[in-house]
Amino acid sequence: MTRFWLIKLLRTIITLWFVVTFAFIVLRTSGDPVVALLGADAMPDEIEHFRELWGLDRSLFAQYISYIGQMATGQFGNSLRDSRPVMDIILERLPATAQLGLAAFLIAAVIGIPAGIVAALRRGRLTDRIVMVFAVFGFALPNFFLGILLILLFSLYLQILPSSGTGTFLHLLMPSITLATFTAGTLARFTRSAMLEVLEKPYMRAAAARGVPFWQRVLFHALPNAAIPIVTVIGLNLGQLVAGAIVIESVFAWPGIGRLLVVAVSQRDLAVVQGLVLVIAVTMVLANLIVDLLYGLLDPRIREGAK
Amino acid sequence: MISRRNFGKYSLGAGAATLWLPQGMALAQDGTRPTLTIAVDNLWANINTINGISTTTRRFFPNIYSHLVERDYIADEQGLALVPGLATEWSREGTVWTLKLREGVKFHNGETMTAEDVAFTLGPERLWGESPFEPRGKTFTAGFVRVEAIDDLTVEIETAREDPYIPGKLTGYIGFVVPKAAYLEMGVDAFGQAPIGTGPYRVTLFRSGEVLEMEAFDDYWGGTPPAEKLIWRIVPEFAGRMAGLVSGEFDFIANIPTDQEAQLASYDEVIVARALAGNYPAFAFNTRPDPEDNPLVDVNLRKAMVQAIDMDAIVQALFGETTFHPPVPFNFPEYGDFYDPDMVNPLPYDPEAARALVEASGYDGQVLRWHITRQFYPNYEAAAEIMVEQWRQIGVNVQAVILDNFELVYTRPYHLMNMSMSTDFIPGDPYQPLWLDWGPTASRSTAHWKTWDPTPEYLAAGKEFEEAVEFEDRKAAYLKLSQAWQDVTPGYYLWKSVYNWAHRADIEFVPRPDGEMRMFGDYMALPA
Repeated sequence: MTRFWLIKLLRTIITLWFVVTFAFIVLRTSGDPVVALLGADAMPDEIEHFRELWGLDRSLFAQYISYIGQMATGQFGNSLRDSRPVMDIILERLPATAQLGLAAFLIAAVIGIPAGIVAALRRGRLTDRIVMVFAVFGFALPNFFLGILLILLFSLYLQILPSSGTGTFLHLLMPSITLATFTAGTLARFTRSAMLEVLEKPYMRAAAARGVPFWQRVLFHALPNAAIPIVTVIGLNLGQLVAGAIVIESVFAWPGIGRLLVVAVSQRDLAVVQGLVLVIAVTMVLANLIVDLLYGLLDPRIREGAK
Repeated sequence: MISRRNFGKYSLGAGAATLWLPQGMALAQDGTRPTLTIAVDNLWANINTINGISTTTRRFFPNIYSHLVERDYIADEQGLALVPGLATEWSREGTVWTLKLREGVKFHNGETMTAEDVAFTLGPERLWGESPFEPRGKTFTAGFVRVEAIDDLTVEIETAREDPYIPGKLTGYIGFVVPKAAYLEMGVDAFGQAPIGTGPYRVTLFRSGEVLEMEAFDDYWGGTPPAEKLIWRIVPEFAGRMAGLVSGEFDFIANIPTDQEAQLASYDEVIVARALAGNYPAFAFNTRPDPEDNPLVDVNLRKAMVQAIDMDAIVQALFGETTFHPPVPFNFPEYGDFYDPDMVNPLPYDPEAARALVEASGYDGQVLRWHITRQFYPNYEAAAEIMVEQWRQIGVNVQAVILDNFELVYTRPYHLMNMSMSTDFIPGDPYQPLWLDWGPTASRSTAHWKTWDPTPEYLAAGKEFEEAVEFEDRKAAYLKLSQAWQDVTPGYYLWKSVYNWAHRADIEFVPRPDGEMRMFGDYMALPA
C-alpha cells in the first residue's frame, strides 16, 4: 500500500514539474514580456531598465533554476504587471472561480445525471430522443456564444438578470448555467450509456424477479454499478470547468482566475501565469486523486485489489 | 415588460429585493450624491502618471490627478485655449519658465501641495535624470536642464533652448502633479497601485484586471465633485457593456464597436457620444534594406502605394461623415496657426500616376508583408483589406498579416507595419508628432524594429525647427521639416480616430478629444 502511494506521489511530482517547465519554456520563448508589458512605444532605455529590474537579463538557464527553486518553495514572487505578490492575487480570485465552478458543477450534476437515467429507462422513445437532442446541443454549443445569447435575452431584452460582474445570487445564474451546459450534456450521455449497460445485467433481472420495486432497483442496484464511468467523466470534466471558466469569466466579467489567466498571458506577466499554471495543475492532480479514491469507495473489488 | 425591479418584487418580496439587487444600484439610491458605474474594456497595470500612460488610463486620470495647465475644450473644440489648472500663471524669460501655483490645493492624503511637489513631479529624479523612477518621462521633458522650487508657490523650469511650448506640454501627462513625500515613501510601484493626486476623486480600491473605485474628495480645489463614488469596472465583452447600460446597471460605457453604434443609439434611455481624437492611425513603410531584397527602399514604390489609396472613399465607407482623412501629412488642424486648410496634396489619389511610379521603381511583383496588430484601431483591418485590393490594381502585391500583439508585429521580416501611432499633440505646435515621433531619438528610428533612418535634410530641418522661437521662423522650419519627411514618405496617416462612449440619457456629458472622461466640472451634469 505504501509503495502504491509513493508511486502516486512521485507521478504527481513529475507531472507538476513537467507542467511548470512547459509553462516556462512556452512563455519565455514566445515573446519578450517587457515589450508586452510596457507597450509598443516604450523606449529602449525603459525596456532595458525593466528587464534588469525583473531579472530577465539573466541567461534562460539561470532564470529556470531560480524559477524552479521558487516553485518548489512556494514563493511565486511578485506580479510583473502590478508588483503585488502573486499568491495574494491568485487567492483574491480563487473564491470567485470556486463559487462559479461549484455552482456549475451542481447544476450539471442535478440536470445531467437524472436526464441520463431517464433517457436510459425510456430508451428509443420520444423522451430519450428529446434528452439526447438537448445533450448534444449542450456540449456542441460554444459556451461564449451561449453566454452572449443569455446576456442579450435576460439582461438586454427582459432586463431581469445583471449582465456581468459578481456580488449577488442573480449575478451567478447566467455564468454558472452557461458553464454547466457542456458538462450537463456530457454527463447525460455518459450516464445514459452506463445505465443501459447495467440495466442489461443478470442481477437487475434477478432483482426484478425478487419483486424489488422499480425505483429501488434503479437507485440502489443500477446506479451504483453505473457510477464508475460517471465518476470518471465528472473527474475529467472538472478540468473542463476550469478551462471553460477562462471563456465564461471573460464574457461575464467574472473576476476569477480564468480572466486573470487571460490577462496575464496576453501581457506576458510571467510570475502570475506560472503561479496560476501550478495552482491549476495541482487542482487537476487532486481531482484525479479524489476520483481514484472514489473508485475504491464505490467498488469493493478495487478496494480489495489494492490490499 | 418585466423589469429587474419588479422581477425582484415578484420573486422575493419587497423587503428582500434590495438584498438581491446589484450593489451599484443599491448604493446609488442611498446617498445624496449617486454612485456612477462606468463599464470599460480595460484598465491598466498601474496608475502612475507616466509609467501608466495608455488610452485606458487617460480616461480616468483627470479624476484622480489635476494638470498644471488645462486645455479648455468647452470654449474651443480643438482645445487650443490654455487655462489655469494647478498653475495659475506662467511666464517666460529666455530659457526659463516661471510657474505660479494655486494656493491651498490639497492632496488626497491631506497634505498641501507646494512648489517642492511640482519640482519633484517634473524633476530629474522622477522623469529625466540618470535613472529616473518613470523613464518614459524623458520623451516628454526633452531639453529640460533645471526644475526648481523658488518659494512655496513658485517653480522655475529651465530648458537648454528657448521653448515657447512648455505650458502646452504641461497639459499632457507630465503636467499631472504627485506628492513628493508620499511618492518617495511608497515607491513608484506602490504609488501606482494606490495613487494620490489633487483631483476630485480619491482612489479607494484598485485591482488592475478588474475594477477601480474612487470616492468624492470634498477638499478638491475645483469644488465639490458631483458623484459620491465612481466605479470603473472591466467588462471585456461588448454585449455585456451594452446590456448593462440599457438595463440601468451601468451609467457609462466606453469603446463601442463602430458597427454597433446605431444599434445602441436606438435605445431611448441611451445617448451615444463621440469625439474626434487627437490621434491619427497610420502605417509605416519599412524603408530600410532589412530584408535585403526589400523593394520599398525605393521611394517611387512608396509614393506609388500612397497614390493608389482612395482614402476619402475608404473613410466614407467605414465611418460615414464621422471623421476625415488628412490629405497632407503633418498638416493637422491640431497645429493651430501652423495648419493650412488649403495646402495642396502632393500625392493625391491617382492610379495612373501610381502605375507609372511602380514602373519606375522596377518592382517585380514580390509579396510585401504588412504586419497589423489585431483590433488595435477600429476598422483598421477592414481598411487594410480595401487598400490591399487598391494596391493590387496597380500591380503591387501586399499580404496583410494580422498578429496578436505589437511584439509579433515588430518581428522581422516585414515591409509595412501599423505602429502605435499615438499622435499626441502639444496644443498649437507641430513638434509632436512631426519631430518627436519620427526624430533621431524616436523609437521609429532607434528601436530594433526601426523602419527608417532620418535623412540629413530631415535632421538639419529638425535642428532649425527646435531652435526657432518666433512663429514665422518656426513655421518656415516646420514646412521644411515636413517636406523632408514627405521626400522620404516613410509612412501614411489614415484618418482621425474617433473615441466613443454611451451614457444614460439623463446625464449630460461633454466628450473630449483626448479621451478623458471627466466626471466633474463643466464636462458632466447629473439630473437634479
